[in-house]
Amino acid sequence: MSSVLAMGTAAVGDPQEGVPLALYLGVSGGLFLLGLLGVLTRRNPLLLFLAVELLLNSANLSLVGFSRYWNVTDGHVFALVVMVVAAAEVVIGLGLVVAVFRQRLALDVDQMSSMKG
Amino acid sequence: MISVLAWLVLGLPLLGCVILSLWPGEPDRRVTRVLGVGMPAVSFVLTAIIFATFLGRDADDRLEITTLWNWVQSDGLSIDLSLQIDTLSVMMMLVITGVGSLIVLYSTEYMEHDRDYRRFFAEMGFFLFAMLLLVEAANFFFLIVGWGLVGLASYLLIGFYYDRPPAVAAAKKAFVVNVVGDVGMVLAAFLLVRELGTLDYGEVFQTAPEGLGMDTGVATAVALLLFVGAAAKSAQIPLHTWLPDAMEGPTPVSALIHAATMVTAGVYMIVRCNVLYQLAPVAGDVVAVVGAATLLMAATIALVQVDIKRVLAWSTVSQIGYMIMGAGLGVYDGAMFHFLTHAFFKALLFLAVGIAIHALAGEQSLDRMGGLRRHLRLTHVAVLVGCLAIAGIPPFSGFFSKDEILATALDAGSLGVACAIVGLIGAGLTAFYMFRLFFRAFWGSEPEGGYPHAPHNPGWAMSLPVVILSIGAATAGFLQVPGGWQLITDWLEPTILADPGLEPTSAAQWFVSIVSVSLAVVAIALAWWVFAADPQRRLRLAAAATGPRAVLADQYRFDEVYEEVLIQPGRDLGDALTNGVERYAVQGTVEGVVRGFLDMGRGLRAAQTGLVRSYVFAMIAGLVAVGVIFSLAMR
Amino acid sequence: MGERIVFTIAAASALASGTLVVTLKEPFRATVALIGTLLSLAVLFVLLAAPFVAAIQVIVYAGAIVVLFLFVIAYLGERPLVEIGDRLGRYQVFAWLAVIVLGIQGFIVLGTTKLDGFRDDPKVVSDIGSPEAIGRSFIDSYIVPFEATSLVLLVAAIGAVMLAKRAVKSEGGR
Repeated sequence: MSSVLAMGTAAVGDPQEGVPLALYLGVSGGLFLLGLLGVLTRRNPLLLFLAVELLLNSANLSLVGFSRYWNVTDGHVFALVVMVVAAAEVVIGLGLVVAVFRQRLALDVDQMSSMKG
Repeated sequence: MISVLAWLVLGLPLLGCVILSLWPGEPDRRVTRVLGVGMPAVSFVLTAIIFATFLGRDADDRLEITTLWNWVQSDGLSIDLSLQIDTLSVMMMLVITGVGSLIVLYSTEYMEHDRDYRRFFAEMGFFLFAMLLLVEAANFFFLIVGWGLVGLASYLLIGFYYDRPPAVAAAKKAFVVNVVGDVGMVLAAFLLVRELGTLDYGEVFQTAPEGLGMDTGVATAVALLLFVGAAAKSAQIPLHTWLPDAMEGPTPVSALIHAATMVTAGVYMIVRCNVLYQLAPVAGDVVAVVGAATLLMAATIALVQVDIKRVLAWSTVSQIGYMIMGAGLGVYDGAMFHFLTHAFFKALLFLAVGIAIHALAGEQSLDRMGGLRRHLRLTHVAVLVGCLAIAGIPPFSGFFSKDEILATALDAGSLGVACAIVGLIGAGLTAFYMFRLFFRAFWGSEPEGGYPHAPHNPGWAMSLPVVILSIGAATAGFLQVPGGWQLITDWLEPTILADPGLEPTSAAQWFVSIVSVSLAVVAIALAWWVFAADPQRRLRLAAAATGPRAVLADQYRFDEVYEEVLIQPGRDLGDALTNGVERYAVQGTVEGVVRGFLDMGRGLRAAQTGLVRSYVFAMIAGLVAVGVIFSLAMR
Repeated sequence: MGERIVFTIAAASALASGTLVVTLKEPFRATVALIGTLLSLAVLFVLLAAPFVAAIQVIVYAGAIVVLFLFVIAYLGERPLVEIGDRLGRYQVFAWLAVIVLGIQGFIVLGTTKLDGFRDDPKVVSDIGSPEAIGRSFIDSYIVPFEATSLVLLVAAIGAVMLAKRAVKSEGGR
């Protein structure tokens, strides 16, 4: 896979033509903002979870981007752990949605407000 | 040995009380009787032993002070738990334990039908302990302790029938009035500590002439404040209102506490503090005047009372007035002599009248009595003896003691003369109202319709004390015969440290004797004429004098005045404070705090919307804020 | 050069599908949009020299998680609540406000940070993204998180089983 990087015999640490980190972070930030918008706006829990996935993914992008910047593997490792956590969270979350659905309650996050007060 | 005996005398009645109180369940009546009567009786025997021991000693040697331990030791004041056994205290102890034992014996039969048998004897034991502490105390501190405990005992015993509202009210009244007296005593004690630095009798009486000075403001203040206490306890004007109401208690209680012993505590105290009263002649005069006024006023009220016990109650107030008057003038031996004879004949009268009340199943009104001499022969004789004694007819005891006071008073300056005259008038009134009681209850015809139950004669437990007291009332006068011997004066001499040296002249004695006996005989004849000769005469005369009779029947409206001037304003103040301060300041503050917290909680709850998005938004808002702060800080 | 072109396309695609995820009303369509986002991100991962992560992204995220979503959507049937309109209009305003403010903040940060080489062309990297590198990193330095994630998965599995039981009344409702 390093073929993409093997454009010429560049040594580690040399700058090469490519995309600066700032742009990657910009994309990450944009995705984060979109996800935020979704979380604050959506009433269907399913759609809410999708927006949360966006947030998680934007974080992953940042991690990997910085990992490349510092030239370490740690960011990748972290990103993988985030993915595991995301998976676990989706399992539980969807389980909740199903449970709510089975109780014949409205799938409306605004109506799930029994923690009020 | 006397020390041990002194503590036993004091402690045995208390022990009886404690055992009876802590006995699980209701003890067998025999147990109660043994403890209730046995303890005082043993105390009497021990007191008699102390007395006999003293008799075997020289006059100057009749003093024992015994200390258990040091009670208070502070900078400048040391108080010991000690007893002082001298001739004065022994005299009081003999009466307390002796008459007390007789009365408790009497109660075993009188209280037979009461279900609170045990409580009665426990409370009587407690009273005896408290009274003994009062008279045996060696310092003002324990005098006041005994004083207060006696007041408590009185409260408990007056309110013995606690489910009767009048009894409860009477008990409260007695206690509250006595608290006024207690305040006076305590203030006097404060002054003594400040001026003399001690409360011990010996030290106080020795240093008082120096420390307080003669006729100074402090000396007078101490004496007057002590007298406030005496006036409350001995029911003198204006603190007398509680004694007539105290008749709500059982008759034995009236006999013991409100005739023979507790109410005489004031007299005892004044005699004990003769040094202080000699240093404050003004106070002594005040005491004498109050005694004289009370004597007269009470005698007039007794003339129209219908409740038989109330007659005796007002009679007690009047007779104590004699003692107080005598003590105020400096006739200490006369006052104590009259105390002794009064204990006999007043206790006798209460117990004998109690037999009548018991026989009539609780009837106490003279209107519904009459002709009892046909049914209760022994009682009839006993009451006669008592009435003759109190009226001052020789050779009965009252004659000797009362005239002792009056004759000696004539030697005590112009105030003394005035008091003696008042006393003579009072003697006449006394004879009249006592024989009014006698004739109305025992002579004449039975009330209309006869008696619902046939009056029955009492058993030995009630008769024996009455007999013994009759003998005492009849003969005790011979302890001090003018022109013969003066056993009382000699006996008390060691304790009267500041004797004013009043001596009745023989002319004075003859004068007083003749006048008092004449007045008494005239009064008795008058009473016979009004009450016994013609049954209707008293009603005709009563109808003619309704105005004065009403005033007397209302007891000169003292209670009403107190209600108006003291009690109602007190209630109003309480109401005002409740509505003003309590409701707004105290409760308002507390409620305000609570409401404040509740409101705060309610306000904070607004953030708990239960909506996910609001929580997320809150987080974001925080994040934004942090970010802004950071970026500004970094600049 | 080629890298830049690929980046531009992938980035645009990611943002576009992200917008769709947040905007589409029907869950199924929104999920498909999410797939698009995930795949675009996988491409970006490859560009960032993280081939393994890219692969896992496709396999786990797009392959498993999204499938889970689709299962649930299918289970829920025809019409789970379609958004009628936001009754809490306030929050719309708040949302846009937050987003805009954050956006401006982020923009400023990206533009002014003094991190070395932040806005320059990237440097050449050593082998950081290969399975071997990641494996070594896990075993050498991050063994505990590694085990911990298995624990997390276990807990999630148990939770899912519990939620699936019909008798549970206390979860999420009356």
